[in-house]
Amino acid sequence: MPAASDVSYQPVRLRECEADFVTQVEEHGGRDAHLCYQCGSCSGGCPVVFMMDHTPRKLLRMINLGMKDQVLASGTIWVCASCFTCTTRCPRGIDIAKVMTACRELAQKEGREIDNPRSPAFYQSFVEIVENYGRLFEPMLMAKIAMRTRDGPIDAARELVKDAPLGLEMARRGKLSLLPHRTKDLEQVRKIVRKVREMEVRK
Amino acid sequence: MTDEGDVQEDGATQRLRYAYFPGCSLEASAREYDMATREVFNALDVELVDIDWNCCGATAASSTDHLLGLALPARNLALAEKEGLDITSPCPECYMKTWMAGDAARSSPDTGRKIREALGAAGLEYKGGIAVKHILEILARDVGPEAIREKVKTPLHGLKAAPYYGCLIVRPPRDDPFDSPEDPGTLEEVIRLTGARPIRFQSRLRCCGGTQLLPNEELFMKMTYAILKDARDSGADFVVTACPLCHMALDAKQKAIAAAYQDDMEMPVLYLTQLLGLALGIEPRKLGLDKNLVSTKNLIKSLKAQ
Ligand code: SF4
Ligand code: SF4
Repeated sequence: MPAASDVSYQPVRLRECEADFVTQVEEHGGRDAHLCYQCGSCSGGCPVVFMMDHTPRKLLRMINLGMKDQVLASGTIWVCASCFTCTTRCPRGIDIAKVMTACRELAQKEGREIDNPRSPAFYQSFVEIVENYGRLFEPMLMAKIAMRTRDGPIDAARELVKDAPLGLEMARRGKLSLLPHRTKDLEQVRKIVRKVREMEVRK
Repeated sequence: MTDEGDVQEDGATQRLRYAYFPGCSLEASAREYDMATREVFNALDVELVDIDWNCCGATAASSTDHLLGLALPARNLALAEKEGLDITSPCPECYMKTWMAGDAARSSPDTGRKIREALGAAGLEYKGGIAVKHILEILARDVGPEAIREKVKTPLHGLKAAPYYGCLIVRPPRDDPFDSPEDPGTLEEVIRLTGARPIRFQSRLRCCGGTQLLPNEELFMKMTYAILKDARDSGADFVVTACPLCHMALDAKQKAIAAAYQDDMEMPVLYLTQLLGLALGIEPRKLGLDKNLVSTKNLIKSLKAQ
């Protein structure tokens, strides 16, 4: 919800902007972000715009102005549900959904303060599990997120107990396994992950 | 590389075969989707070839590292290509991520080189020659309406289905899309083949918010409730989905959502292949219809009464 501190009502200080921010976003998958002409089609179709501090259109303007700090601190990039409606409709061919993804990546890599800490907890836990087993293991995902976002194990357990009834229902129907499934050639998956990390450092 | 029913010299059609990438959900919370898909494809004489797949990384991998989100699904592409097969997934997220990896490998020189370098570290390569298809495309286009109609044994007349596409089967737009991203029709086509009636459903392309289920439950509940309510208000007997995450949202979470909004709704949510399986005369248990959380018993009973 717009507050008095909303960037729209503040002067943009160019010396605090990073002119190459839009290029960074594009390099991380936010195809053609610099082409935005502010038509607002993205905001018009976004199903979660009511929960965003900046609309997608406004975020694109901020990115093009180089307002990196404000963009990476925004709630918008974490509220985005990755539905690709905006990408489908953008008359300039901008992949806005991936612009959001790129901003999430940059915010995490640069250790920024994050509007909804549950989101990075979810992403990082997910990736750790895939790296370990090649496939996702849902119960472990829930446990890891709880451990990352709660104050200590007791508090984490409390969150897990809340979800226990559904878990039992799923187990009763054979939809929850107690052991993780694995990719057989796990070493192959790990080599790919390690290589990607290495390439990232080299850059 | 596609062998979409290529007519051989003697006039017989070649059997359709695809590398099968079920994805993580179909091994766990969406087991019934895997069961039903294998049953239906078997009944339609389409072969699904199992590969040693890995997780596509979903929104999580790409949100932590752009390249990781492409390199993970690229491994599955390499495995399928080695078998000389196009690849399919029933899960729209797996399908879309795999398609994206293939698209990047093919059309972006710089990213493509990086993907190949990552695969190379594991002794794999992907030349870029295979197609990535969602099962809806295979059913509606490769198998096609005639072949399905021929095999329908128990048409589901009188049932009203809300066709729910969700996001990623038709979005983002592909270069060579099998259906329109803004006004698709293949899901309705397949529903019609079963004898059920697809109702006009405003929310059919609206996001269920499934990706926010764990990070932001409040937002997620709002989005899913809107879709369930629309299905009920439009007079649907049940919702049809082809996505395990949508199913988790609409079916598994329905009780909690109804309670939160003090609503008494009970809207069965069927996977596309569960519905098709019923029409093909496959036993409900083999389609995992006892595994859906919102009971499908009354639906099945009304079929038997026909
Ligand atoms: S739809 Fe595209 S061009 Fe229009 S405001 Fe959004 S990003 Fe900019
Ligand atoms: S992808 Fe994100 S920003 Fe784009 S329309 Fe969907 S929720 Fe909104």
